[in-house]
Amino acid sequence: MLLEIRNLTKRFGGLTAVSDLSFTLAEGDILGIFGPNGSGKTTLLNLISGVYQPTSGRLVWAGEDLIGRRPHEIAAGGIVKTFQNPQLFGELTVFENVAVAGHLRLKRRAGWRRVATLLPARHGSDDDLHERIERVLALCRLGSVRDQPAKSLSYGGEKMLGVAMALMCEPRVLLLDEPGSGLGQDEIRNLDEVLRDLRTHGTTLVVIDHRVGFLGRLADRAIVIHHGAKIAEGPPGDVLRERSVVDAYLGPGHA
Amino acid sequence: MLQLVVGQLLNGVIVGTLYAIIALGVTLTFGITGIVNFALGAFMMLGAYFTWYFSDGLGIPYPLAVVLATLAIALVGLVADQVLFRFTRNNLINGLIVSIGLISVIVAIVLMVWTTTPQNMHYVLPGVFRVGGVIVPKMKAVVFGVLLLVILFTYAALTRTWAGRAAYAYAQNPEAAALMGVRTKVLQAGVAAYSAALAGLGGGLYASLYSITPEIGAGYILKGVEAAILAGIGSVMGSFAGGIIIGVAEGVGSIFLPSAYNDAYGLVFLVLILLFKPAGLFAVSSR
Amino acid sequence: MKLLLLWVPLVLVPLVIHNNVVLTILIFTYLLGILAVSFNLIFGFTGQLSLFHAAAFGLSAYATYLAMAHWGVPFWLGMVVGVVFVSLVSLVIGTICFRFNLRELYFAIVTLAFSELFRLVILNWNSFTNGSLGINFTLTPTLWIPGRGVVPVQGTMMWYYLSLVAVVLAVGFYSRIVHSWMGRCFASIRLNDDLADTLGINVFRYKLIAFVAANAGAAVAGSLYSFYISYIDPHYFSIDQSLAIIAMALLGGSRYVAAPIVGALVLTALPHVINVNAEARLLIYGLILILTILVMPRGIVGVLVTGLRRPSRAPQTPERPRHAA
Repeated sequence: MLLEIRNLTKRFGGLTAVSDLSFTLAEGDILGIFGPNGSGKTTLLNLISGVYQPTSGRLVWAGEDLIGRRPHEIAAGGIVKTFQNPQLFGELTVFENVAVAGHLRLKRRAGWRRVATLLPARHGSDDDLHERIERVLALCRLGSVRDQPAKSLSYGGEKMLGVAMALMCEPRVLLLDEPGSGLGQDEIRNLDEVLRDLRTHGTTLVVIDHRVGFLGRLADRAIVIHHGAKIAEGPPGDVLRERSVVDAYLGPGHA
Repeated sequence: MLQLVVGQLLNGVIVGTLYAIIALGVTLTFGITGIVNFALGAFMMLGAYFTWYFSDGLGIPYPLAVVLATLAIALVGLVADQVLFRFTRNNLINGLIVSIGLISVIVAIVLMVWTTTPQNMHYVLPGVFRVGGVIVPKMKAVVFGVLLLVILFTYAALTRTWAGRAAYAYAQNPEAAALMGVRTKVLQAGVAAYSAALAGLGGGLYASLYSITPEIGAGYILKGVEAAILAGIGSVMGSFAGGIIIGVAEGVGSIFLPSAYNDAYGLVFLVLILLFKPAGLFAVSSR
Repeated sequence: MKLLLLWVPLVLVPLVIHNNVVLTILIFTYLLGILAVSFNLIFGFTGQLSLFHAAAFGLSAYATYLAMAHWGVPFWLGMVVGVVFVSLVSLVIGTICFRFNLRELYFAIVTLAFSELFRLVILNWNSFTNGSLGINFTLTPTLWIPGRGVVPVQGTMMWYYLSLVAVVLAVGFYSRIVHSWMGRCFASIRLNDDLADTLGINVFRYKLIAFVAANAGAAVAGSLYSFYISYIDPHYFSIDQSLAIIAMALLGGSRYVAAPIVGALVLTALPHVINVNAEARLLIYGLILILTILVMPRGIVGVLVTGLRRPSRAPQTPERPRHAA
């Protein structure tokens, strides 16, 4: 068991965004998080990645308690999150964006010795980085736009760039917040391929998405969140047919 | 000794009110329109010079001179907003740099016209009040009274009138306010002009109490920003309290520490507040 | 690294041009250039407006001179004292500011507050610093020249080469940093520090490094500059000085390592080209700040560079491994 969430609660003033949530994540899972708008899904991911601190509850990752850690520490530990509204370094090119995301990789490979690369003679380490960048760009089908400024990308391109940057961090767990929203059919298919490929190579995925069809096919486990609390858990096919879940999405009386 | 402390206290309150009027301008501009305008100090200085010039140079009666100067500075503020600050609305750093540039321009022009020689206005209201053994010059009391009235008026206008509530709404959410029919461009221009007017008024009143040089703006904008941040951006009465706190701290502090360090009190408050209670002492949640 | 070629003619200048005024302008340009280039690390590249830079400039100057006067150390050791002192102070101030996550405007204000506090101390500690009167230097730096032994650094020629070497080293230093992975970290902080955080970049650490490294450069500039003019007073810490530094960086171009030197050149040469008094100079500074922000945000060098090439991104990160230039 990789990640354990126990009784996680987050209150913002009077509003309870996440309420007593508990679940576990095993290595190699693709966990789908479903739930209507405003149910607390994004807040949950923000709690796991350290952007927010929980009001109460426990977050245990590979045996260690994550509460109180800063986002960059959590990312260094192997949990990386993408953003629902793509966050990019607008002025830099696509290539440079991905290069920035290579920082963790550099840190892991060279440790504090990376300071030595600041001295004039040593540029060799860059070749290894460039190779990795090219591979990630190819995987996310961004090769053709590599030299364009990130802010000039299409919405779908921006989302894929977000995924690419997350991939550069070599995550053990990848938290994807609505990766498919705003994408066309082709792009969705490509995303699906990329994500399955990731899982084959050992990355665990936690995915939020609106498209019940897309996520329903991709995920092998699902949990449904409504008003910040877990109302269902199990294989997507079953869970999505449960009465309480349909009620949550469509309102009472539709099942 | 007690008399000395009380005297310094009263003095501090009056100086603090001057800080407060600048702080009010800062808090309104930054709190409502999100623009950083450090030139309010320069506007104050300009208001002082205009008032002195109208009154001593052109022979206009003092109260009228102050009003005219205030209006003139309001106009300057409006022009500055439309020509310069409008383009820095979303960028605090740019706004800061543009402010610094504008200050230099204004100070340079004043230096060229009136030189660095301190100017003194004639005695507008000679005479003193005696309050239980402590001497308070009548003019200082008048300045205090006028500024307090203006601050209270601003507070009332913001909380009780439609325009005021529109301003608060705009501060919370500019797009929603626009959709509700708030004429945002007018509001922004209005806030800019009003804040400048406050600074100009402060300067005009300052001129009746102290000698004026082109450098006075710098100290006052710093104190004004300190007071506004100390109180919490967006709080009108808070700016008043913040100004008083700094003014009194300086006044009373100068009894015990060399007056050369007067400026340090405000600086220390500023650093401590920004580190430990960045929302300010009387925080109002808007921006 | 074609820019290296640009430095060559500068080495030859004093052999060709014997006009003292021109050489003096260049010396000031180089020394103030170090000041502006170092400022650009924290401002143009990392995106933080620090108003402490002038204070770093002044503190190092005072520290260097006072170390020489009270401890009898030679100039170069004094400069080390200055740089170390400023670096320690920056470490403390930077840690305070960034630990409390002060951003943008509030960071600027707090650095200004610290700068003012130091200025007040220097201004009022008459017994140690001579207060507002400043100090006229009676000591000069010395240099060991092979074949001639230890000589005092005097005269325009010596100062010219000394400041030229200094500015070349400074540009080399900051250029290395900016064009490395560390420079990428700085750029990421400038553009979107929340995103940088989630990508594993320790924003606090790199902001602090940029702040200290920038102030260290200001310290070097302060030591050299003060000894060149043989005078120091609290005016080094003034807002005017901060203003001039920002103007130089913006005017030259805040996205290029060496560009602020161009800004320094313009501001230094201007009073000689147009006969202006102090007021007019202030007016011009103000106009420069306003105009560059509104009209020419990329600075002179930016306009030259993008004018000659199709508008592309400013050089932040290398696309291909650079070979030794």
